[in-house]
Amino acid sequence: MKILVFADQKKGKVKKSSFEVLSEAVKLSTESGAEVHAALLGSGVKEQAGVLGHYGAKTVHVVDRPELATYINTPFVTAAKAVIDAVKPRLVLFPTSEGIKDYIPALVQKLDGAGITDCCKIRWTGNGVEIERPLMAAKARSTMESSHSLILLTCRAGSFETKEPNPSLKAEIVEHSVSFPDLKQIFKEVLAANTGKISLDEADVVIAAGRGVRDAEGLKLLEELADVMGAALGSTRAVVESGLVPATLQIGQTGKVINPTLYIGCGVSGAVQHTAGMGNSKVIVAINKDSEAPIFNIADYGLVGDLFKVVPLLIEAVKELKKNA
Amino acid sequence: MKIYVCCKQVPDVAMTIQIKDGKFISEGMNYVLNAYDASCVEEALVLKEKYGAEVTLVLIGDEAGKEALRKGLAMGADNAFHISDPALNNLGSQAAAKVLQAFFKGRDFDFILTGKQAQDSDMGLAGGILSGLLNLPYVTNAVGLDVQDKMIVVKRQGDEGVEVLHMPMPSLITCSNDMNDPRIPSLKGIMASKKKPMEQVSLTDLGLSADEVLKESQKSSLKSFGLPPARKAGAKIEGDAQTLVATLMEKLTKEAKVL
Repeated sequence: MKILVFADQKKGKVKKSSFEVLSEAVKLSTESGAEVHAALLGSGVKEQAGVLGHYGAKTVHVVDRPELATYINTPFVTAAKAVIDAVKPRLVLFPTSEGIKDYIPALVQKLDGAGITDCCKIRWTGNGVEIERPLMAAKARSTMESSHSLILLTCRAGSFETKEPNPSLKAEIVEHSVSFPDLKQIFKEVLAANTGKISLDEADVVIAAGRGVRDAEGLKLLEELADVMGAALGSTRAVVESGLVPATLQIGQTGKVINPTLYIGCGVSGAVQHTAGMGNSKVIVAINKDSEAPIFNIADYGLVGDLFKVVPLLIEAVKELKKNA
Repeated sequence: MKIYVCCKQVPDVAMTIQIKDGKFISEGMNYVLNAYDASCVEEALVLKEKYGAEVTLVLIGDEAGKEALRKGLAMGADNAFHISDPALNNLGSQAAAKVLQAFFKGRDFDFILTGKQAQDSDMGLAGGILSGLLNLPYVTNAVGLDVQDKMIVVKRQGDEGVEVLHMPMPSLITCSNDMNDPRIPSLKGIMASKKKPMEQVSLTDLGLSADEVLKESQKSSLKSFGLPPARKAGAKIEGDAQTLVATLMEKLTKEAKVL
């Protein structure tokens, strides 16, 4: 039996969510006796394939083609299907991204597989898997089972433990040639590219802006805090709707699911639509002048105070700490 | 233009969710039109007002599901199909897509809209699987729609920003609720909706057997429900700004050790 993990990458660099999923696959392989394979799809990604070996992939399957330079679902479905057809895994695991969420339904359909998204626990049952996943805006969890001949699962960010890489582990790299069909859809452009210097779903520290930031002035304050902390900036839906930040920064049920070591919510009230996307953060700090704000119910450290007074002092304190480090 | 919107009726997830003995307690829950589907209806109506179109709703569900269809009709959709059969209760994404494939067989349309996910399952597979079964190009997570030169101009929220794609007709597009704010039906709209055609469709009408649906349902099965592990409220820190920041820095460096 084989478990195949599709790695996600950005500009040729493998994203940390891939290592998390690969670590889980290695864990599952000890329970099931499976062989762990990885796959990397993209353009100019071949050089990065080796690192997947350090995390325990025995073989890394690469499709490195210019057709995969810009994300569009059809070529990714074609490439992923070609690798799965060649490897013949029983279980296929994916991290989660907007691209993967977009192409996985077609892949499930074309392979006649069983598809389950957003898994936060996976157990090998002997003849299939039992998984847990959040649902209803992460207010409930369901347990699902599948013993289908081909099971495709996407994994919820931050749900699994990433193992330390071992550089002495080497994977065999196999390149696959794929013939791509003519596209029926036409890709035009990417508007409003990510403004954040550090990508939100990769960041160890996230500063989140809520309605309490009020305007561009308030946002600038949080950008400065993010800068001194080496953090990524995120926001609630209200702030996206006000036009202050692009939708790529939205955290929550309809936005990104993040799992940083430290989350600092500034002027964030803590509506379920937002907490559905950040409840996995290791340490949650909330700064809000409303002591009744629901975010205080999940915050490890809840600062009852005005962010316009607290954040400038926090910026200075972090600068001081970095200077002495 | 002919636009179909595939809808689902879901429990209102803003309410308190109750689980008992591994089962979801539906008593006391309000059931509503899936918010992502409501955004599809809204967008279809905007396109209808701009270019002229017939907007048809399709829903799989029991008798109560008709309420969600009435809501869409009251917003301004023209007509609706209610697919109902005892064999079709609590369908998963893959089985729902199979049923809808049978529904769309032999029908003409310019595009199909459906929510990017259902608010109850949050699975996000049915739309893309349906387009695969119908051999249609598709795109998910649309945040903007328009029609230009017989192509559908779709803005989709991607990983790096908003991706702009031109889709041929027919295509299938799944929509985000970030696309618009669905209109509240007017009293006039509600009155008019009662006279709009709503056609009942059974499994037999679709030429589909319960076994064919079951085969899809059996690929994966829902065993039980539970509540997520609760996150406890930690320390609430009060005082002036200096005290707050000093206490926080102390906690983050010495206690949580994350700085």
